[in-house]
Order: sequence, then structure tokens, then C-alpha cells
Amino acid sequence: MDFGGLRAIDSLSLSIDEGQILGLIGPNGAGKSTAFNCVAGVYRPTSGEIWFDGANITGAKPWDLCRAGLARTFQIVKPFASKTVLYNVMVGAFARTDKTDEAEAIALDILKSLHLDHKKDFKSGALTIADRKRLEIARAMATKPKLLLLDEVMAGLRPTEVDEMIDVFRTVRDSGVTIFVIEHIMRAIMALSDELVVIQFGRKISEGKPEAVAKDENVIKAYLGDEYVAS
Amino acid sequence: MTPQSFKKTGLALLVLTALALPLILRSPTYLHILIMLYLYAYMTTTWNLVGGFAGVLPLGHSVFVGIGAYTSTVLWLQWGISPWIGMLVGGCLAGFVAYLIGKPTLKMRGAYFALATMAFVEGVRVIVENVDQLGPFKLNGPRGLNIPPLPAGEGSLLAFQFATKEPYYYIILFMLMGVVYLTWRLSRSKLGYSLSAGGEEPEAAEALGVNVAKCKVTAMVLSAFLTALAGTFLAQMTLFIYPKSVLTLDLSFELAFIALIGGRGSLAGPIIGALMLRPVTEFSRIYLSATLPGMHLILLGVILIVVMLYQPRGLSEPLTRLFNRLQDRICSTKTGGAK
Repeated sequence: MDFGGLRAIDSLSLSIDEGQILGLIGPNGAGKSTAFNCVAGVYRPTSGEIWFDGANITGAKPWDLCRAGLARTFQIVKPFASKTVLYNVMVGAFARTDKTDEAEAIALDILKSLHLDHKKDFKSGALTIADRKRLEIARAMATKPKLLLLDEVMAGLRPTEVDEMIDVFRTVRDSGVTIFVIEHIMRAIMALSDELVVIQFGRKISEGKPEAVAKDENVIKAYLGDEYVAS
Repeated sequence: MTPQSFKKTGLALLVLTALALPLILRSPTYLHILIMLYLYAYMTTTWNLVGGFAGVLPLGHSVFVGIGAYTSTVLWLQWGISPWIGMLVGGCLAGFVAYLIGKPTLKMRGAYFALATMAFVEGVRVIVENVDQLGPFKLNGPRGLNIPPLPAGEGSLLAFQFATKEPYYYIILFMLMGVVYLTWRLSRSKLGYSLSAGGEEPEAAEALGVNVAKCKVTAMVLSAFLTALAGTFLAQMTLFIYPKSVLTLDLSFELAFIALIGGRGSLAGPIIGALMLRPVTEFSRIYLSATLPGMHLILLGVILIVVMLYQPRGLSEPLTRLFNRLQDRICSTKTGGAK
């Protein structure tokens, strides 16, 4: 993926299996957000293709991706701040139905499974950051996705909130949704991911099970520099 | 009494009062004032479909009023087609024009969209002012079009002209109730949710499956159709239309002001706004137009600034809170303190 003269991602090849949690990590500026946004339909890759569920989705519009079963959250959360929590989730639910009462029922269901239903009439702009992140996921889940793209959901959360969010991830995965997650909070992504891909300077430098990746020389070098490689 | 039945009773009382008013106020002058008030409330409610729900600021909406007025008038004067049919034709034409303007402009950022709509209405006005004839249609330029009144004392439903003010009153009242109901239903529908979501956070809405641009265009077309109906009504009420009466920025601004001061995106907002601001326009026109034409816009501007400073979301919010407090008090007393 090139931005003018800058090659943000160079020959990156990723694949996720159904029901998996795939984590994408790497030092700052590695190109994680770019990769994420290419998949999410924000950028059209200057070269290469993206396939989802047997279809070529390269350059597809975000709303068409959502209909196809690909949902995403935003790193800087974007709740419909002037509206209630229930309203927010209903917007997502309308992706699957045209009827208001059905959308409301779906929304209430999702809110219950993510333990947000007691706050359904709160103005979403008044929620704590942890709840806003939870709402962001609830909204995306209301669109009944097959694949959920999560962009640094743990950022800005306190340790207890991170633990709660790990539970949310597990709930999502147990409901049958495949997850592609970018994260910086190591203990979270190590605990959750079935597979990890590590990139640096737009290139893949390692992939595999979390324990293996953690020991990989290239990965340690990328994060901590040459001096820290265990000899 | 439950909150629901309180609201329903209140609404019923309001409607009954409105229906009964012509029987109490027999003076045609008062009826005329009320008719114009309902008309502006109607036009602002249809404006609200774009300006309130979709979150953009159309400042050229009077172009649809003009299209409605001119279409039905030309069809009546030249071909004798009943203004009721002309009304529907005007509506469809306005909708079509809205689709043409909407597609390119609704992709623009807020201020640019507003400017584009302003440019469009001004452009149309200048064209109409400077041509006598557009193809087979006689538009009569700045002299405007006169609808010959029926002989005094006669009225005809087909010709959409009546001897007294009462029929006009009831027609516009039903039109107003109709669009308010439509707006209420829309706000609870998928399109309504998609529109307000797309207006507030377009990126998030798109990621949730909303084709924001398409929704906005839909709202604009619907709004244009309904606004054009008001144009025909205005033409039939005043029997004289000319470019500066129906294709002016003044009218566009006034609709925007009413909506912003009354409460953008709310149901009661346009009505509250019209109630407050129409008297300002009427009285400044009566007392000041000889010396200071356009003064009403300055006054409206000052009111807008004051309201935006203290109640940026419009007056409908604090008034709704007052209403809710009243409702709580009445409902609690009736049910012995239980809520």
C-alpha cells in the first residue's frame, strides 16, 4: 500500500481462519493501522487484493462490507454522543432488519450479552471510556458480523478494565465471530490470540502461536533493539 | 393518569383547539395570520427532514417552494389543469431537482453544502427574473404571474380558490398535521435512525452499514416534494407569485432561522419557532418596511445569536423539560405520588 512515495505496507500477506482470533502487532509506525484500514475499506490498496468469505472485497465501500458480514470498531471511539446507548446499538441492528421493533430486540439482546443493558437509556456521550469501548463493540456486534475488526480496543483502559475487555472478547468469540485485532497491550493479545502476525516497517517479520512469536529473535529485536536478544 | 395518556390528552386538546379556532376567531385577518403561521411551520418541518435529521444546513430550500408555486400556476394559467394536480406535478419536479442537486452537493462539507444550495436558489431566481418564457412555459420574468380570482363570493375546490379564509385554514392545518406525523414516524424508522446517525458520525454510521450519502439524498428528495406542496398553497392563497416572493434567499434563511431557534431535528421545534418568529417578520414588515426593508432579517439574526448563545439546541429542549415537569406533577398527583 503506497501513500504517494511512502510504501506503508510491503507485500503483506495475511490469512485468518473462521472462528480464529488473529492478532496483528508491531512497533509504532509499522503499518498496522494501514493494514487494518485496507481491510476495512477505508483505503483502496494500491496493489494487492483482499478476499473475504470467498469474495474479492478490495476497495469495497464500508457499508457494503458491513452487509457482507465484516464489522469494525474505531480506535478513537465514535459513539453517536447525543443519543442513548440503545439507539447506538439499534443503528447497527438496522443493518440486518428494516423493522424498528426487531432492531430494538436485537439491540437489547446484544446489550445484555455485553452487560450494558442497565445503561441502555444513558446518553452515550456521558459514558466512561471503558463503557464507550464496550458500546463500540456492541454496535458492531449488532450488525451480526462474521468477522470483527478491532482496532486497539484496550488503549486507555485501566488494568481491571483490560481484564473485563478480555472477557468481552471471549464472549464475542464464543458467539462464533472471527476476530482480527490490532493491539499494543501485550498481555491481552498474548492471552487471546490463537495466532499472531508481527510487522515492522510494513513487512511481516514473524507469525505463529503467541508463545513462539514471543521468543522469536526478530520480534525482540524489533521491539527492544539488538542488545536485548537472548544469546 | 399515566404520562402517555397525559401526552395524548394534551395533543388531542391542541388539535381540537386548532380545529375550532375559525369558529371562535371570525376575523379574516386573524385567520390569515394563523394560516401564514401554519404555512411557515409546515415549510420548516419539511426543511427539518434535511436540516434537522440529516445534519446538513440547506440555505436554499425556497427553490422548492418556487418550483411548486410556478409549476401549478403555469399549468393552471396556460392549460387549465387543476392546481391540485399541479401541486403533485410540482412536488415531483421539485423531488427530481432535489435529486440532481443533492447527489453532488450532499458529499460536500457543511459550509460548502450551504453555499451550494444558496447559489442554486439565487441562480434559479435570476433565470426566472430574466426570461419571459422558458420553452412553452410563460414565466413572465419579474412581473410574476397573476392568478385571476374567481368572482367575489364564489369558491371552487377544483380551482383551489375559496371565497373565505376557512377552507385555506383547514387545508394548511391538515397539511401541517400530516408532515408532523410523517416526521414522527420517520424518526422511529430505519431511515430516520440512519439519517441522524449519518448526520452525527458519518464514518461510524458507514461502518454500521449505512449508506450515508444515499440516505441524505432520499431525505432531500422527500423534503423537496413536500416543500413544493407549500409553494402551490402559497400561490393559491395570495394569487400572485413573482421571483422575489417565492425564490428568495430571505425565505430560505427564515426557514433555517425558525428551525434553528425552535429546535433543529425536533417535532415541536418548527412550530415553536414559527410561533415566535412569524410575528417578528409580520410586524417589522408592517411598521418598518417603508424605512428599513429587510429589517426583519436583522431582528431574526439577533434573536438567533441570543438563542445560540444560551440554548444552542433550540428552544424546544427547555420547553420540553418544562412540559415534562408539568407532566410529572399532574401524573403524580393523580396517582397519589406513585410514578
